[in-house]
Amino acid sequence: MEEDEGPAGGAEQRHLRRRAGTERCPSPSRLDVSSSRFDPLLALYSASTPLPFPSAPCFNNLAEYESFQRGLLRPRGRRSAPSRRGPPASRSARRGPPAADPERIQRLRSLMVNAGHEQEAAEGGGTARRRRAPRNVLTRMPLHEGSPLGELHRCVRDGVRINVHIRTFKGLRGVCTGFLVAFDKFWNMALTDVDETYRKPVMGKAFYAEPQLSLTRLFNRLKLQDSSVKKGADSKTVSEELALTNDSQMLGSKAGSGRGRAEDERERQKRLGRAGEKKMPGDSSHLAARGEADVGSGTAHTEGASAGGTRTRSQSRRKRRPKVDYQQVFTRHINQIFIRGENVLLVHLAH
Amino acid sequence: MEVSHSVKERTIAENSLVILLQGLCGHITTVDLRDESTATGRITSVDAFMNVRLAEVSFTDRQGTVSQLDELFVTGRNIRYVHIPDEVDIRATIEQQLQAIHRVRYFGGRDKGRKEFPRAKYK
Repeated sequence: MEEDEGPAGGAEQRHLRRRAGTERCPSPSRLDVSSSRFDPLLALYSASTPLPFPSAPCFNNLAEYESFQRGLLRPRGRRSAPSRRGPPASRSARRGPPAADPERIQRLRSLMVNAGHEQEAAEGGGTARRRRAPRNVLTRMPLHEGSPLGELHRCVRDGVRINVHIRTFKGLRGVCTGFLVAFDKFWNMALTDVDETYRKPVMGKAFYAEPQLSLTRLFNRLKLQDSSVKKGADSKTVSEELALTNDSQMLGSKAGSGRGRAEDERERQKRLGRAGEKKMPGDSSHLAARGEADVGSGTAHTEGASAGGTRTRSQSRRKRRPKVDYQQVFTRHINQIFIRGENVLLVHLAH
Repeated sequence: MEVSHSVKERTIAENSLVILLQGLCGHITTVDLRDESTATGRITSVDAFMNVRLAEVSFTDRQGTVSQLDELFVTGRNIRYVHIPDEVDIRATIEQQLQAIHRVRYFGGRDKGRKEFPRAKYK
């Protein structure tokens, strides 16, 4: 082998001989990368190979080196990296074409290394993140100041009782009155202490007659809103009068708000008006509190007391009128309810 | 306290009242649907679009026919009301769910783990 490689072999021989003589002092030029007498094999196995640039950054591959040169990567290795926040942040912050300007790289590097250090020292870990205010459904509620949703937030803050008009596929379904706990931008609402007055949507032949009624129903509702007491005197048949008096008794016994009573009366009047238009003879509108089995809502016991009373009254009424009224208005009390915003027609603040 | 695995669903839920419904998982409640039918059962899961899965359901359809179902899936759009059980505190449930999301988002410490939002902006 030594004969084959001429100069290299000679160098080896010389190296071996020298090694034998002086134990561990190869000429520094042999180990110096920049010299012409650099011996790579020696450099690899020597224990005292000097590093040409001791503080040079170490990279795992060329891609890392490239990233560093573009100023995106903080040098690792000897200098312990304080944190990794610098490079990922800058990488995400600047998604455009990177600037290969060395000055820029220097600036960035100094920013990362020094400023990163100082920031770490000054703030704790938590405050660095808390710089960005949390944005969630609760913090977004007060943000709508000056807009209708801001009014909703006022209702949450001040505990204003609101009436939420609920829509069916066409028109008004009913009203939920309660206290608002939370809402969001879709008008989803969480209400407490809710009294709901509603009517199932009419189907069948009457469904086709409905379009004519929807506008007039709205006008009736507005009209009756102003003069609900006056309309009470205009009952047409004796049975209707009976129904009214029965209902007022029932409402008096119900632990409902005054507002709720007005709502029920309005519903009744609305249907009285409609009954007139539909020309259904002897049909009386009556309010029935139905005991609905609402599991988990805790309404059963409150309904039972009033429902028992009204059921007997409605049964006696039904004996006189065999026809069933599909336009029955229902009322129920629910302690806590969530309403999907899609179904909200309007929100009316009760003073 | 199961948070969705999707970042998109997490942010949608975090910024809307769906998070309240997600906090109701495991409770027995009644869901009133858009077509006047009702479903009473235990909420298994709610996603960011308010799609609800219920178990051991007593389903009353709009004609009034009651049926017992092992599982029911309701599309979010078809929901009108969700009755909230009396023992549930609305504000507390929302805050618990928000904390769960916060824990998931900042899992693994400050510098480890995947980050959802840019941590800091450098010029």
